[in-house]
Amino acid sequence: MPLLTRLIPIVVVLGAWELVARAGVVNPNVFPPVSEIAVRWVQVFADGRIWAPLWGTLWRALAGLAAAIVVGIPLGLLMGRARWAEWFFEPLFSFGFPLPKIALIPLYVSWFGVFSLSKVMLIFTDCLFPMVLFSYHGARGVSPIYLWSAQARGTGPVRMLWRVVLPLSLASIYDGIQVAVVVAVLVAVVSEMVSGGGGLGELMIRAYRYGDVRTAFATLVTISLIGFILFKLAQWVRGSLLHWHVAEA
Amino acid sequence: MSVSCLEMRAIEMRYGDGAQAVHALKGIDLDIREHEFITIVGPSGCGKSTLLYLVGGFLRPSAGSLSLRGHPIAGPGPDRGIVFQRYSLFPWLTVRGNIGYGLDEQGVPRAERNKIVDEYVRLVHLQGFEDRYPRELSGGMQQRVALAQTLACKPDILLMDEPFGALDAQTRRILQDEVRRIWRRDTKTVLFVTHDVEEAVALGTRIVVMAARPGRIKEVHERGFDVGDGEEFETNAAFAALKLRIWRSVKAEVEAANP
Amino acid sequence: MKAFSIAKLVPLALLLAAWQAASISGLLPKAVLPPFSDVAASLTAMLGSGELISHTVASFGRAGAGFAIALIVGVALGLLMARRAVVQRAVEPILLLIYPVPKPAIIPLFMVWLGIGDASKIAVIALACLLPVVIATFNGTRSVDQMLIWSAQARGTSERRILWRVVLPAALPQIAAGVRTAIAIAIIVLVSSEFISSETGLGYLIFSYGGAGADDAMLAVVIYLAILGFLLDRFYLAGLRRLMSWHAFAH
Repeated sequence: MPLLTRLIPIVVVLGAWELVARAGVVNPNVFPPVSEIAVRWVQVFADGRIWAPLWGTLWRALAGLAAAIVVGIPLGLLMGRARWAEWFFEPLFSFGFPLPKIALIPLYVSWFGVFSLSKVMLIFTDCLFPMVLFSYHGARGVSPIYLWSAQARGTGPVRMLWRVVLPLSLASIYDGIQVAVVVAVLVAVVSEMVSGGGGLGELMIRAYRYGDVRTAFATLVTISLIGFILFKLAQWVRGSLLHWHVAEA
Repeated sequence: MSVSCLEMRAIEMRYGDGAQAVHALKGIDLDIREHEFITIVGPSGCGKSTLLYLVGGFLRPSAGSLSLRGHPIAGPGPDRGIVFQRYSLFPWLTVRGNIGYGLDEQGVPRAERNKIVDEYVRLVHLQGFEDRYPRELSGGMQQRVALAQTLACKPDILLMDEPFGALDAQTRRILQDEVRRIWRRDTKTVLFVTHDVEEAVALGTRIVVMAARPGRIKEVHERGFDVGDGEEFETNAAFAALKLRIWRSVKAEVEAANP
Repeated sequence: MKAFSIAKLVPLALLLAAWQAASISGLLPKAVLPPFSDVAASLTAMLGSGELISHTVASFGRAGAGFAIALIVGVALGLLMARRAVVQRAVEPILLLIYPVPKPAIIPLFMVWLGIGDASKIAVIALACLLPVVIATFNGTRSVDQMLIWSAQARGTSERRILWRVVLPAALPQIAAGVRTAIAIAIIVLVSSEFISSETGLGYLIFSYGGAGADDAMLAVVIYLAILGFLLDRFYLAGLRRLMSWHAFAH
């Protein structure tokens, strides 16, 4: 679909919003016109209010994500190839998966305080699950033929994971990273909304509490943009990283 | 004395316009009489399946007319039953469910529907498998169900699009005999598309040879002799001669397309 | 139901045993984590007093309502988008716009708009669950084999009945996968909304017990929630397996 055609419904919706808000049909303090939100959005960037919270949320998300990647991938690969690791860890992750890790916010706050550490730890916990599970499935899906071929050329078990299983699981692992990126931003924002300690989530909640709806919306837009940009970035990197990949049916 | 069943006049199927146009079919004229078993054979891209889909009403011709027993063909319907090569069984219905589907659509009450379904299950030799799902059946059995479900709607003409192409050679031979047997019993009119020349001669009372680029009818052969069920027609001299003639004709087209 | 062996519980049991041992031996101070036995006792007490049940009903009532709305609207919308290009062109850009917005972040807005009661929570949950259902239905419907549809048409199925009798069943496996995601999302958004503002529900219990320092009670509810989520997922899969016993990859 050409870009212009895609924009039409969005323009229509935003236009309707603007008209409805300006006509006073809805309370403009509940639903401010789009134009005023846009103006405020520019303002918060111009007067610098938003930079500190933005970096706060961003680096927490990335730190938690990075930790989850570093721990999760090797663990998942190990589970995929070593029976004992699978036996022990798979039920733990299977069982923990349906629990919203957000429920652990109060626990983490009591352990790690209200500032960045508790949030990074929570993001780490939340992102660990997709990283482990996607790596695990990727490793399990590796055809034995590759492994036999490597074994026949003298590859030991540890190097096998690194040199053979990892590249072959990369597509699945990367799917996990794409999921985890979105989760990281989400958890960062929610934990900030619930327990404060700086960041875009807290900024947004505070704006609502003081009735500053325009700033709240502007923050919401910023949060969405960050999530979107990171996701697109991850997609773009995938192309170059996995250019050799042949999808197996 | 044989009544005309299907008439195709100046059928054209064109994709694109002007100089870039691709003619999947051009200048197709064909009359099919009642109770004939027409097989259509030709190289890839000759439009044989396209022709079948036009008769089925799933596609509309760019030009020309199609009529069944005097009435123009306007869309799909139970008067033209079709058996595809794959994927025409509903995976969420049992054998009984699939065969009875068309009857259900026609509003046939359950008791009568069950009787008819049982009859067709027996016809295709699948007694005992009525409550199985397609995924539990072999390829050959699935195609038997496909045949039964189409016949249950009592179509005026039976269309078959390379129905045995995905099966192994032995199953294919057995099912060919089945189709011939059913055709003899019900004296249906059949339009059967295949790329297998032997299959075309074994089944068809008239064999249409098509060529590609543009898709057109090259020649039509009358078989002129009968083929019995399970007969070892490899030893039938007339059969071998006809098969050779048609094979050479098709081969020439294949070679012309791939120099 | 038990497509899940008891042996899988062993690592969990080991973990709990290790927890208990660490607490008793003094390795794990009470301030950090109360002993598992305390948590278990708390859980039993809360179950017995009916406290957990009433809050469970409150929570899952909200989640269920939101989820049900999303299911009905989502499937209908997904089907419509797949069958009518106009609808797809009109709706898809809007969905793509909503997609990157973290739904829990909309909770305060909905509360300003619909009040702090159940309505706002149900609305957010419905919106959050809508997307995976629409996307799955859309993709599932689009990938229905043309031959199945033609086969039905050749047996006298009208255009309207095609949707109900052929397209929907054929798309069901993919829709079911989207619904499973929606269930997980519903629980996450539910708990988030109850953390932010609520006076009933499991999220509220966790938050208030946590705030009051009653860690054993808080953890009891967390574990309870984990078990509920697990059972819900398992029951869903088991139900699916029965409903779609015809499916080749009944997972």
